Amino acid sequence: MTLLNRPGEQASAALLVSIASGLVVAYQYEAADPFVSSVAIEAVLPFGAFWRALHFWSSQAFFILLAIHAWKSLEDVGRKGDRQPGGGLQWVLLSCTLPMALFALFTGYVLRWDGTGQAAGTIAEHLLLEIPLAGRFLNRLLMAVSEEGLTRVYVVHLLLTAVLWGMGTWYHTRRVILKWPVFRDVFLGTLATAVFLRAPIDLPDEFVSLIKGPWFFLGIQELLRHLPALLAGVAYPLTPFVLYAAMPFFKKPGLARGMLAFWFSTYCGATLAGWMR
Amino acid sequence: MTRRRILQNAGKWGLALVLLYPLFAFVGKKRYRPPIEVRIRERLAPGTHLIEPEFALFETGTGPMAVSRRCTHLGCILNYQEADDTFLCPCHQSRFSWDGKYLSGPARKNLPRYPVLVPEGAEGYVVEIPRGVI
Repeated sequence: MTLLNRPGEQASAALLVSIASGLVVAYQYEAADPFVSSVAIEAVLPFGAFWRALHFWSSQAFFILLAIHAWKSLEDVGRKGDRQPGGGLQWVLLSCTLPMALFALFTGYVLRWDGTGQAAGTIAEHLLLEIPLAGRFLNRLLMAVSEEGLTRVYVVHLLLTAVLWGMGTWYHTRRVILKWPVFRDVFLGTLATAVFLRAPIDLPDEFVSLIKGPWFFLGIQELLRHLPALLAGVAYPLTPFVLYAAMPFFKKPGLARGMLAFWFSTYCGATLAGWMR
Repeated sequence: MTRRRILQNAGKWGLALVLLYPLFAFVGKKRYRPPIEVRIRERLAPGTHLIEPEFALFETGTGPMAVSRRCTHLGCILNYQEADDTFLCPCHQSRFSWDGKYLSGPARKNLPRYPVLVPEGAEGYVVEIPRGVI
């Protein structure tokens, strides 16, 4: 099997590894005492660092493979059937897995509640509150870290994983069956990564002058320095997801693809600027 | 669309609303917590300060002053820079003076101050973090 030739199947395999390793980590994780339990898993409990790393790297692999799968699926848009109401609706529903996967990954960063996690959780809460009308409810539904600690973030993290698995299998079961060689390769790949590379965790440092967010958040972090929070932290990051979901409804899909590529290039630029700070 | 069809659709949406309301009501309800009182058991000398997780306490010439360490931009915890007596946000680099006045960066608003009580007959201070302040 060549690398990344079946990204959809590989994403399913990575999600399976992520769910299994996440359930193992969950046995020792405490949402009421998140940082201490994360450090205990990492540094005290036998094989804790390995299970945490396996969960971390398989989750990263899942998101990246899903994004590649989504990009490759753009070739399907415009084929007969995808413009029909049923096909379009199905596309929109499956497109929702992208922001869900990103948010599941993001909540994973928040749940460790170290310096990066605390800052990410607090920023996400404030960004949700910036959304007119629905912001307060969305915050209560998804984050509310200042009022509830990490209880809701943990619930959402578990719930999203179940929903992602459910939505993925609902659509693909009759089309693609996860083959053993694909699962074996992804499992061994993430296993080897977990053995050699630890999942990051940082100690809360009173005098850190710059916290860098998760890799996929660096561009937003940079834009938040220069633009209003609603624009940089809500409207701009939502744009590619909306564009992607609306793809079958564009009369010229090439135009939407071009807009997506333009958004992606601006985000890469912002990420680079954030990374170089 | 026939009247029967309209009534059927209205019934479905009505049922969905009836089922969704308990979910929204349960999840959206805020459980209020009382204000948090932080007890400081030492007395600061004039001109000195103490950094706590949620605020910085200064003993000024005119009395104690507690300044929030939550950035008014997006809520990150600010670091106090001894070198120039300013607060610096590690997330987006907003800066504030020691007494919470906005200096630069995307925050635009001053830091809130918390009430400080000096209990009679006891050493130290009581700083009250009001309900709802994050």
